[in-house]
Amino acid sequence: MNVPERGDAQIVERGFQRYEGRRSGVPGAIRSVSWESIRATLGLGRPARNKIFPVISVVIAYLPAVVFIGVAVLIPGDILEPEEVADYPGYYGFIILAIVLFTALVAPEVLVSDRRNGMLAMYLSTPLDRRTYLVAKAVAVAAMLGLVTLLPPVLMLIGYSVENSGPDGLGGWMLTLGRIVLSGIAISAALAAVSMAASSLTDRKAFAAIGIVLLLFATPILAAALVEGADLSPYWRLIDISTMPFELVFRIFGDPGNFPELATWAVLASNLAWTLGGTAVVWRRYSTLVIAR
Amino acid sequence: MPAARLRGVSSIIETRGLVMQFPSTRALDSLDVVIPSGVTGLVGANGAGKTTLISLVLGLLTPTAGSISVLGLDPHERGPELRAQIGFGPERNVFPDDLRAYDFVRHLAEVKGLPRDEARSRASDSLYLVGLGEERFRALGTMSTGQRQRVKLAQAIAADPRLIVLDEPTDGLDPVQRDEMLNIIVQVNRNFGIDVMLSSHVLEEVERVCDHVVALAEGKLVAQGSMAELAGASGGIEIELVEIDDRPTSIGDVAAQLAAAGAGVRRNGTMLSVVGLGDDELFDLAARSVAQSGARLRRLGPHRRTLDDIFADDGPGGAS
Repeated sequence: MNVPERGDAQIVERGFQRYEGRRSGVPGAIRSVSWESIRATLGLGRPARNKIFPVISVVIAYLPAVVFIGVAVLIPGDILEPEEVADYPGYYGFIILAIVLFTALVAPEVLVSDRRNGMLAMYLSTPLDRRTYLVAKAVAVAAMLGLVTLLPPVLMLIGYSVENSGPDGLGGWMLTLGRIVLSGIAISAALAAVSMAASSLTDRKAFAAIGIVLLLFATPILAAALVEGADLSPYWRLIDISTMPFELVFRIFGDPGNFPELATWAVLASNLAWTLGGTAVVWRRYSTLVIAR
Repeated sequence: MPAARLRGVSSIIETRGLVMQFPSTRALDSLDVVIPSGVTGLVGANGAGKTTLISLVLGLLTPTAGSISVLGLDPHERGPELRAQIGFGPERNVFPDDLRAYDFVRHLAEVKGLPRDEARSRASDSLYLVGLGEERFRALGTMSTGQRQRVKLAQAIAADPRLIVLDEPTDGLDPVQRDEMLNIIVQVNRNFGIDVMLSSHVLEEVERVCDHVVALAEGKLVAQGSMAELAGASGGIEIELVEIDDRPTSIGDVAAQLAAAGAGVRRNGTMLSVVGLGDDELFDLAARSVAQSGARLRRLGPHRRTLDDIFADDGPGGAS
């Protein structure tokens, strides 16, 4: 019988060991919590039912861009100019439903869930504190909203450019891209702050989502009633959180927008007020929140 | 944080005159505590101040007065840095139901600062260590209370902390599960040198696994020290006798003989606690008294003070 010679191979059972390596500290904690929040909202690593709403929202947001690019490809440019299909600021009118759905879905999932399922207490026993936790969550909410406010117009820009229907020259292309990015950030910041504020006030995701949808539908109705019904100053339209972010996008693209009677600084101030006001509500709520351990 | 500096500290937690005043109640009152390395039990009834002390250790509350130092750092001033070195297992048993145990442990290890690859491997290692290796890809919502308690311990140790703080880690467990959990906690300390502070209102389990104990009642310190000092031999002996039908006075006779010899005797049923003379003399005296009275002896040994005794003697309304 041949006895095999002893070689260099070993059976290594690693098991639990001490860790002496580098730790990423607070920036790594923020990055990890933001990414996990995005994963949870998109239903990644979760059962299929968690993916339904995110998929519907993303399809609604991206479908028009795909259609417009298809039209630009199939119809010769001398018959139909890309601007006649959809301009960049006008694109948001096609995807407002996706934006409302996402706004109502994302922040409650990101914020309310942590308070209900005990993760907030877990996170606050890590290098995160309340402030850095909220930064991580704000990054997640804004990034998720950017998925529907920023990337579809970028997709349109790339599609038009590939078909030689995009902006003229590198300078024009960069200017358009810059305006798209600025627009996406402006919309995401305002809606993220408002939806996070609503989500900080209740421990039920459904209530938070309903509150956000009501806010998005109620403020334009109230603004119209004040300006058109009660004949008050047109500047009362600035209270309209559903319209002002998109009005600002028109101004970013140098377009007078739907309400040219409003000065651009006032539109900008309205967006800043919603963003800062929402942020203040969230901070106030979380700085006084008693966390069960 | 320089690990060498942390390893040099003699106590892991130290408080001086620590006060935590909430609007309607004083949760901690002038607490002076020194907790050395090892497994430390934080004992006391509900409302004794255990969870408040844990929150202060983690830097989640700011003390009203006094000071606290954990691993040589001020938790309030350097909370993020400190919490990266502490694993925490909360009392609450509520977790994201849809999340798999592995993902939960991996994610929290990443939040504690481990690189992604390291967090992945250590999540598996930790879950194997607590006996959930085969169950690690199950959703938390499908796990039993005992398994969830183990997951809490796994996430507390996954990032290789210097100290783990466990709030009622055996809550909701049956006796067998409780024994297993306590064994794992001791193993974590003995095999990997991770210091442990566990809070509990079950004195027996603290006596069983802890090297040190801090006893609180109504926010005040009742006792602190090593288990050997607090609950060990305290002078005197204990005699447990068997009641015999045809000699009904035998236990009383033993007690009387001991008292006549100058010992202090306290009878509790068939148990006699005897103090007042040297231990050797007490043992001789007890043996003679039992033999002369014809009583039947079940146990004769040194008196051991239990944590129950500490609370009875030193707690609010206690003997001392």
